[in-house]
Amino acid sequence: MFKKILIANRGEIAVRVIRACREMGVSPVAVYSEADRAGLHVALADEAVAIGPAPAAESYLDMDRIVKAVRDTGAEAVHPGYGFLAENAAFARRLEKEGIIFIGPRSDALELVGDKVRARQTMEKAGIPVIPGMKSIPSDAAEYAKAAKSLGYPVIVKASAGGGGKGMRIVRAEADLGPAVEAGQREAKSAFGDESVYLEKYLEEPRHVEFQVLADNRGRTVHLFERECSIQRRHQKIVEETPSPALDEVLRRKMGETAKKAMMAAGYNNAGTVEFLIDKNRNFYFLEVNARLQVEHPVTELVTGVDLVRQQILAAAGEPLALSQESLRQRGHAIECRIYAEDPAANFLPSPGRILLLREPKGPGVRLDSGIYSGWDVPIFYDPILAKLVVWAEDRELACRRMGAALNEYAVLGIHTTIGFLKDVICHPEYRAGRTNTAFIPKYFDGWAGENKADGPLAVALAAAAIDDMAFQARPKGASRAKEEAPGPWQTLGRWRMGGAD
Amino acid sequence: MEFEFLADGSAKKVAVEEKNGRFKVRYGDREFEADARRISDNELVLVIDGRTYDVLIARDKERKILFVNGREYIFYEPGEESGRSWTDDHKGPGGGLKINAPMPGKVIKVLVAEGEPVRKNQTLIIVEAMKMENEIKASLEGSVKKVHVAAGELVDQERVLLELEAK
Repeated sequence: MFKKILIANRGEIAVRVIRACREMGVSPVAVYSEADRAGLHVALADEAVAIGPAPAAESYLDMDRIVKAVRDTGAEAVHPGYGFLAENAAFARRLEKEGIIFIGPRSDALELVGDKVRARQTMEKAGIPVIPGMKSIPSDAAEYAKAAKSLGYPVIVKASAGGGGKGMRIVRAEADLGPAVEAGQREAKSAFGDESVYLEKYLEEPRHVEFQVLADNRGRTVHLFERECSIQRRHQKIVEETPSPALDEVLRRKMGETAKKAMMAAGYNNAGTVEFLIDKNRNFYFLEVNARLQVEHPVTELVTGVDLVRQQILAAAGEPLALSQESLRQRGHAIECRIYAEDPAANFLPSPGRILLLREPKGPGVRLDSGIYSGWDVPIFYDPILAKLVVWAEDRELACRRMGAALNEYAVLGIHTTIGFLKDVICHPEYRAGRTNTAFIPKYFDGWAGENKADGPLAVALAAAAIDDMAFQARPKGASRAKEEAPGPWQTLGRWRMGGAD
Repeated sequence: MEFEFLADGSAKKVAVEEKNGRFKVRYGDREFEADARRISDNELVLVIDGRTYDVLIARDKERKILFVNGREYIFYEPGEESGRSWTDDHKGPGGGLKINAPMPGKVIKVLVAEGEPVRKNQTLIIVEAMKMENEIKASLEGSVKKVHVAAGELVDQERVLLELEAK
């Protein structure tokens, strides 16, 4: 086993990997940009290396700096998390050449599945159903228009190197194609360093269901069932769950076997995910392979009892896969809600800034993968994900209730987040009935203007604000804020120091 | 003592008297007595008519943010409410229209030049934050009076990006 692993990422996923390292007796090394010196992942690691300025291109995406950090700290392996260099075949190859283990698939498999166009070709050849789309990246703009015409509108622009909704645009008319392709290219370039985009036929209101796969370096492959990821905004998942209400045992087995076959066709090793779209007639189509640990991996961990990050590290270290398909079971139900620094009442506009106060939910079956703390300034430079709230319960209805209660306990004050919005999603009758598809948010939540406060305790909030004000006025002006100098009738325990307003 | 807070665009007055650690509260035609206990710098637990309210309080320069049993309330000092700037434009002097940055971010592209005529909903500037592009569109038909930013520039929320002139 490795003695030291460098985590080439930030935020909640870096924290997640650091925790796995700790449990395995491996020393975790963090890297950080200038914007992340105070990041939680830096605080929790054993060592931390500064790798450059705030923009990702000059830090988290800079291979030379990451490799140098590996060399300087003597780490033997790199965990890339998700995003940044996680699906960059050139990075994986570079590490292979340098004799550093990449905790992910081999560079050739990564290259194959990471190139969405080649991956589609491979899957088609292996007899796996794919969505109609372009078979190569065109060299000039006219080819996009031609392809769109023959596929028939609507079409969707996708980044070849993509993931996470970056670079995606739905195009419903020819007039919008040029600008959509251009915007997709810009976003793809900034997110992945590769501006290649292609077109696919856009399926209306499909379900998005993916299968988790694990493979060791000898080709032994299992799947860990599905994740239902249909609740999306801006083509990016916001609520995930497993099992999917859309699958029965027959379809589940069929898709699971197809997912395994797809990964074996690609010569894939380590953890990966095969994404499918399911249309209204329950036909499923291969969408793409996510050659990384997924954001939503915790729901799979909770229902299968398998620690996927640990499995990734074991596989990368050359251990044979100790899981068999027959031994894997789904137990109960898990739901994940992604907590983003965004304003859902303003078209999910990013909301960076200072978290003045954080209180995290707790309780049985509640897991929080989080990368934030009270006082943290959420930077403008990176993905807006703050944390993932994940719950497990015996069945779906109980999991929904548990999620609702946990969201209600969750306070992130000072910036806008998706928490209030997610409460309404989880409570929505269509969600409760399991009738979800990728059009769910635009269909039921267009123009969502914030939580309904009409029946809320406004009078109590005002009373509390006033009582809080009185406490401040009771203290001598300009006095030190040490507790012995500020006694008040309201103060019965705890230290007294003004927080946040200094 | 009388307190006034601004919330959702209107002034809310609340009167509170403290007596032996209990608080008499009057808000509009409601009167109630609250037993308040501070359990940390940022948390009060109130008991009112036997019901409990767990209140988290965050503060910054101009506002208090309260979280009461799962709901968030933002109160400003009187005269300080800036509210949300989401409408992203407001009338400036001389009938010009200032277009503000809706959030902090980086200017990716300026698509118009000074003096150029613009259509309503035409994209003027693209600002990126957190890896998402946001298109800033013209809210009226007219022309570009002044451009205040250039591609590559980092902008704060509310920063004036450009000014439009109505036709």
